Amino acid sequence: MLPRDRHTIDRLDKPSSYTTNKSRKRKHRDREGDEPKDRPSELEDKLRDATTLYVGNLSFYTTEEQIHELFAKCGEIKRLVMGLDRFQKTPCGFCFVEYYNHQDALDCMKYIGGTKLDERIIRTDLDEGFVEGRQYGRGKSGGQVRDEYREEYDPGRGGYGRAISDTMQEGYK
Amino acid sequence: MDVERRHHNGGGRERHHGGGGDRHHGGGERHHGGGGRFHGRGRKRNFRERGDDDGDHDRRPRFKPRYEEPAASRLRRLILAIAEQPRDGAANEAQYIAKLLNENFEDDLTRKTFFDLVLQAVSEQPLKIPYVAAVILHANETNAEIGKEALERARVRAQFALDSGDWRGFKLVLRFFACLQPMLADDGVFPLLDEVFNRAVDLQTASQEDAVGLDLVKIILLTLPYLLANSPTTWAEKAAELLEKTDIVASAPHPLEPLVESYLGDEDQKPFGFRSFIGLLQKQLAKESENGWELTCLSRPYTDYKKQASEEATAEIPKHALPEITVPSPVNPGRRPVFPETYFSMYADTEIETVPRTDDIAASLIRDATVDTINLLDFNRVTTARFLMEIDCFWAAGTFAKRGTAFDKLKNDEGRTMWKSEDMAVDAIFSQLFALPIPEHKLVYYHAVVTECCKIAPAAVAPSLGRAIRFLFRNIDSMDMELEYRFMDWFAHHLSNFDFRWKWAEWIEDISRPDLHPKKAFLAGILDKEIRLSFAKRVRGTLPKEYHVLVPEGKDKDTPDFKYSSDDVPFAPEARQILDLLKKKAPDSDIQPIIDNIHAQASEAALSDPLVASTDAYMTAVLVIGSKSLSHLISGIERCRERLVSVGPASEAARRQIISSVVDYWRFRPGTAVGVVDKLLNYTILLPESVVLWALGPERLGKGEPLADAWLYEMVSGTLGKVATRVRQIRDALVNARVAGGMPDEQITKLEELLTQERGAMRALFGEVDDSVGGVARGVSEGMLENEADDAITRILRAWGARWARVFRRRAAVEETWVADEAIKAAIEARKMLEGAERRRAEEVAAEEEREEEERVKREEEESRKREEEEERVKRVKMDEGKVEGGEEVKVDMLDVAPDADMVDGS
Repeated sequence: MLPRDRHTIDRLDKPSSYTTNKSRKRKHRDREGDEPKDRPSELEDKLRDATTLYVGNLSFYTTEEQIHELFAKCGEIKRLVMGLDRFQKTPCGFCFVEYYNHQDALDCMKYIGGTKLDERIIRTDLDEGFVEGRQYGRGKSGGQVRDEYREEYDPGRGGYGRAISDTMQEGYK
Repeated sequence: MDVERRHHNGGGRERHHGGGGDRHHGGGERHHGGGGRFHGRGRKRNFRERGDDDGDHDRRPRFKPRYEEPAASRLRRLILAIAEQPRDGAANEAQYIAKLLNENFEDDLTRKTFFDLVLQAVSEQPLKIPYVAAVILHANETNAEIGKEALERARVRAQFALDSGDWRGFKLVLRFFACLQPMLADDGVFPLLDEVFNRAVDLQTASQEDAVGLDLVKIILLTLPYLLANSPTTWAEKAAELLEKTDIVASAPHPLEPLVESYLGDEDQKPFGFRSFIGLLQKQLAKESENGWELTCLSRPYTDYKKQASEEATAEIPKHALPEITVPSPVNPGRRPVFPETYFSMYADTEIETVPRTDDIAASLIRDATVDTINLLDFNRVTTARFLMEIDCFWAAGTFAKRGTAFDKLKNDEGRTMWKSEDMAVDAIFSQLFALPIPEHKLVYYHAVVTECCKIAPAAVAPSLGRAIRFLFRNIDSMDMELEYRFMDWFAHHLSNFDFRWKWAEWIEDISRPDLHPKKAFLAGILDKEIRLSFAKRVRGTLPKEYHVLVPEGKDKDTPDFKYSSDDVPFAPEARQILDLLKKKAPDSDIQPIIDNIHAQASEAALSDPLVASTDAYMTAVLVIGSKSLSHLISGIERCRERLVSVGPASEAARRQIISSVVDYWRFRPGTAVGVVDKLLNYTILLPESVVLWALGPERLGKGEPLADAWLYEMVSGTLGKVATRVRQIRDALVNARVAGGMPDEQITKLEELLTQERGAMRALFGEVDDSVGGVARGVSEGMLENEADDAITRILRAWGARWARVFRRRAAVEETWVADEAIKAAIEARKMLEGAERRRAEEVAAEEEREEEERVKREEEESRKREEEEERVKRVKMDEGKVEGGEEVKVDMLDVAPDADMVDGS
């Protein structure tokens, strides 16, 4: 590519709006909190050579080996961290995949994100890097927030959302 | 005043329907609405009406309604969508865009974004080059500046591509020039082709194995059809001359051809032998030359429009000289080593012609543009797939059958078979998936493209894909083994995206073949891969019961049995003790006594290597604590690393025992075993040599039976891949150091020594593999008796040996093209040229931007000066008129004239 060129077609290896919004929110916070101004660009820098991906919409039953088998198609995997229910310590449907190379992570966004693993369409997103603690679900009941209020039945992710199944439980009394 | 007027115009919605010129094409619905966006009639009416208006409106400038899309973005949208809709409009479309461009060419933003976009489209969307060029040809007729500027922009691209060794980039810009031939003076593109040819000859004379020169000739040959399409008679003679010259280069067989053939065996047994892409091209063009360059598949939007409008095609076209482009000598060979290219097809030259025959120029032209599209757009597989599914839009009408036409309904009214666009697309993707020695992108990209195509048009693609799969499976026996492995890997991955559904019943007979038979081995390999992406029970459920032998119950268990649970196994109590201690995370000092105990017993029993026995017990225990998941295994290995690392140096046999223990423990999940071995290599608990000797050493190899196991190939191939990657890393470091300069000589010498050492080790390892499998191929491996030579099984075994040997010989040859001394020297030169080109280009861009900025500032100053003058003038006028308040009068004036005119237009 020559300098200044703009693609005629969108790229699939850009971070999602979720991640960029997170960066924007941070920018906002920084301004309010009078923290150093260079923090948001720090996050952009991290994404610029990100080797880690967040992988979402996994089935609770998908194993590390299955993830490995698919994601290794984009390059050697350095580390795989399964997302766990904060209380049960069982898989709760997401993971972090870390490659050795940035390019492998980008390729994974382009070639694997949005395809199926264990018969579910999975979502990938560039990630600034795993830190201890992020492997746990942040939902009220320990899993991911999205499973808290989900209204559809999803057998791969523990049936109905927690809010609904709690209501049901109450109702039986 | 300005605001007032705009406000007024914005208020009158009717304006949108009538009145002047470009205002009317603002809406998005035109773009998105189905076919026939460019009804000539509607437009003509508009222009005529504007003509009528002009008399009334001359006095005041035209104001655009606020809601109108700016011309720059409208042009962008139109160019990007060019030719994508059902094709009858394509010729008009180019003409319309040209008109729009001409009308807005004075606008700086429009001009700038337009040319950037056009050149980017040329480099990224090769299928559209003829259409984009048609826009320029049309626009050039009215404004020669447009033609001139387009050529200049293309020159910059072409020069940069040449200097940086981007041969595909050069090819595409050259194609753009070729499509612009009607507005080029003198011989146009021909002298440049001659120049490129001379460089090719230089390269060919310098080396017999040269492939870059071949690539140059290929580029010339692929340019000719586009050059001749618009006026065949004018250039036929020149083309024939050139073809005569290229013949000797294009038709000569390349010494590396046998390494990149898709199938092995005798020529008559191959379903599709090596067809040199460039060789075919030369023959196809010779045929075209004889037939007066019909080039039936090429679309000619410009000449078509001219014919349609019955205008004289060549009259009064402003001509330009082809800008000066310097082909560097010697040329920059580019970053990737080039091998001779084969034309791969699964459908060609069969009874029913669903794709062009290999003697038809359409085969090469369509394949070339399609493959470039696939490889250029790897950053958006969805768009790639869309292009592939709409490929018929970009070629002459009548080239393809209607999309999705069934295989048996391809004949048209005249009885001619029409090509099936889905077959062409699938053929093109597989030509890349099966490209030897290595495709441009990771294999999984091509998997993803197939998947996307299936998502877009399942009913149309599935039958084509089915025929491809059957063709490939039918010819598995003679397929290059690496390709067979790619096929297996793709097929399993593909099925995992589509509920694992396939018509397995049709291959049931192959289940009863011996395990060593390539077809049976392939089926076993595929099912194993499916299970790895899913789980055994699920996969079994998708299969007829005849297949269930390939998915034994052992595969259902999440964790394998611990063989030492049974006291029948020697050292069982000790192994169980070790496991207990490991589970308790006891210090290694607690384990040592048990190991000593095993050693003592083993010596007593006169076992040749006591360390082998203790290693099996210890390693198996580690595997058990790591059986829950890969993470568990890794933490287990890390805890036990010290002991495991010390095994190898003490005894090579014990080191290989580690592999045996892994493979034995995970025998129902060979994929996991391969993964574990890979990790152990990373921890240097295993060495690459141990893996190769374990896998292919005489003990295990026997007559060669293990060679049928896909996972063994995976293990050996992965191990050698690791070694090769390391050597390449050292090589890259060396190349970087040499190019950048500044590294102390001492350090460079160290790097060079390291390279020599590691490269030597790699060569030795490839040699090891070749000795073992080559022995099987020749039938001289241990355990093969001479009188067995005619036995069917022996024949199969020897074939396995030959297939392995070829894969690894090719791999070795490929690595040499990266890390041999000559290759490194060439790479350094290429890199220096690339960096020079990039530097020059960056300077040019900086200068360009500076110039633009200066112009902008100047323009702004000019504008503000004019504005001030105008204000002055208005003030003066008001002063002169004295009594009436100025502002009001102007307003009245406008209300008087504008609305009436507009109302008339609109009704």
